[in-house]
Amino acid sequence: MFIDGLTNADSTPTLRAAIGFAAGRQKLIAHNIANLSTPNFRPADVSVNEFRSQLRDAIDARRKQWGSHRGELKLSKTRQVEQKADGSLLLSPQESGRGVLFHDRNDRDLERTMQDLAENVAFFRVASDLLKTRNDMLNAAIRERV
Amino acid sequence: MYGGLDIAVSGMVAQRVRLNTIAANIANSSATRDADGNVNPYRRKFTVFMPGDPNAKNEMGRELGVHVKDILEDQAPPRKVWDPDHPDAQPEGSADAGYVYYPNFNSTMEQINALEAQRAYEANVASADAMKSLVAQALRLIS
Repeated sequence: MFIDGLTNADSTPTLRAAIGFAAGRQKLIAHNIANLSTPNFRPADVSVNEFRSQLRDAIDARRKQWGSHRGELKLSKTRQVEQKADGSLLLSPQESGRGVLFHDRNDRDLERTMQDLAENVAFFRVASDLLKTRNDMLNAAIRERV
Repeated sequence: MYGGLDIAVSGMVAQRVRLNTIAANIANSSATRDADGNVNPYRRKFTVFMPGDPNAKNEMGRELGVHVKDILEDQAPPRKVWDPDHPDAQPEGSADAGYVYYPNFNSTMEQINALEAQRAYEANVASADAMKSLVAQALRLIS
């Protein structure tokens, strides 16, 4: 369809996947923070590095198939991230087990969690700013034609 | 994405309940009688948290987040203070005659717990702030 060419052009699908990932991860981090004092709770998160390499592979595959400027972005399924039919991402977080176990058997790590929170917000902001720039360009192009 | 705000709010609510029970413990630290006026020292109360929030507005919020599962009473024995002239002292002939039973309250522990609850509350506020900025940022896309 013609409209697909607009929504799938250039970096749009990559940015969309990045925004979906950051939005989903934000909820996981919020969940970890909400359960800072819950006994036996083990914080669970998804790995940014894994997602990054997954995204890189998908971009390479898309380039090979369609050239760099168009086409759908298909993320391969990993144990943490799965792309659903509508393009949204299903995150399956893994328990980290990297921190010291407290006496209530919770291995919270507040500083790292807050760092993850700040990084994730910055990541979301960058991706959505770039997507907004693309949308603005699209708007400008449409306006010139009409 | 609004579900994310539910998660942070559930954490704030849970920590506030925890702070309330700590406040109740401190307020009743010398209460030797119960609400009915009988000689029965106050017992320290504490909260038990559990993941998931049944009161959240949407399904995702119910799955994630946290809630207070129970407020329990510490069953540790009361603190005994020798004070035979006190009206609530144990009567003659009982095992602890002349002793007054005070709540099993430990000021240091309550202070530390209050500090921890406050810090956890602040962490949840930061999380809510971050979520708000994400929502605001996403709304900019359609402007």
